[in-house]
Amino acid sequence: MHATLCDLMMDIIQNSVEAEATVIELTIRETEKHLEFEVRDNGKGMTSETQAKAIDPFYSDGRKHAHRRVGLGLPFLFQTAEAAGGEASLQSQEGTGTVIRFRAAAQHVDLPPFGDFTAAAAMMLTLMPKGELKITRIVHEKDYTISRSELKDALGDLHSAGNLKLLKNYIASQEEDLRKAG
Amino acid sequence: MAKLTLNDLRKLRDETKKSMSQRSADGKRAEVVIGMGTCGIAAGAKAVFDAFLDEMDKAGIEDVAIKQTGCMGLCFSEPTVEVICDDMPHVVYGNVDDKTARRIVREHLAGKALVSDHIFDKPSTDIIKNTGK
Repeated sequence: MHATLCDLMMDIIQNSVEAEATVIELTIRETEKHLEFEVRDNGKGMTSETQAKAIDPFYSDGRKHAHRRVGLGLPFLFQTAEAAGGEASLQSQEGTGTVIRFRAAAQHVDLPPFGDFTAAAAMMLTLMPKGELKITRIVHEKDYTISRSELKDALGDLHSAGNLKLLKNYIASQEEDLRKAG
Repeated sequence: MAKLTLNDLRKLRDETKKSMSQRSADGKRAEVVIGMGTCGIAAGAKAVFDAFLDEMDKAGIEDVAIKQTGCMGLCFSEPTVEVICDDMPHVVYGNVDDKTARRIVREHLAGKALVSDHIFDKPSTDIIKNTGK
């Protein structure tokens, strides 16, 4: 299992990138009662048959790793949601894209810790070779949005160690502001 | 920290650029690629990413690119980190934690010496020291 909710998000974003998505939207909403997030991509999508198998941990399409018999990313997400008083869902259409939703009870004893979002966001934003990733964070009444294209425009190269440090500071300042009000 | 705007970020980038000494023509001399598949994430890829950034900052290294990739098929030795460095063999390190990431920065990137006891993919047997591990 993944140790934090940020790890779950990174995993799903990585799936989208591997599905050749060029536009990905991650929306995270924290309310008093719920913790929710949604990943929406325009990747290659899945047939209804593949969707049914994708949440089985003992399924992998075998395209990337020929002898692999397991695929744990989505099963981790579904298991965590169910253990924490919520649910997860998967909607997909081949050739159009995929939408993954996660919802859990905010105060549930089995909800994993949220995790270090600053590092997770920096990794997610710099994973895609090209295209757009838009991250929206909503905590109670406050929110912020960051996008890969805007950051690329501001920083230029998103991979150099120096620029990554600036990127992390930028995300950290947005998080700090969000928490101040929350 | 005050909330930064994209314009603040642009200014900071320009300041950093000015203070950087000119190195190679394309501005990069090495690439560090961290595995970010389900296996890498579960094994602590995020902490490794943080350790690389922090140690490079401390060592004043800015001309190295840090990238992420999916599962490299080496799940049992995650977190894995591939290091592609000028004038050095191309290697994949396995079981990289915070401490090892910092060693890779100090020894491999700055010191031009392989961190032999964490090499997973051997570039050539004659250039790896036998550490007895």
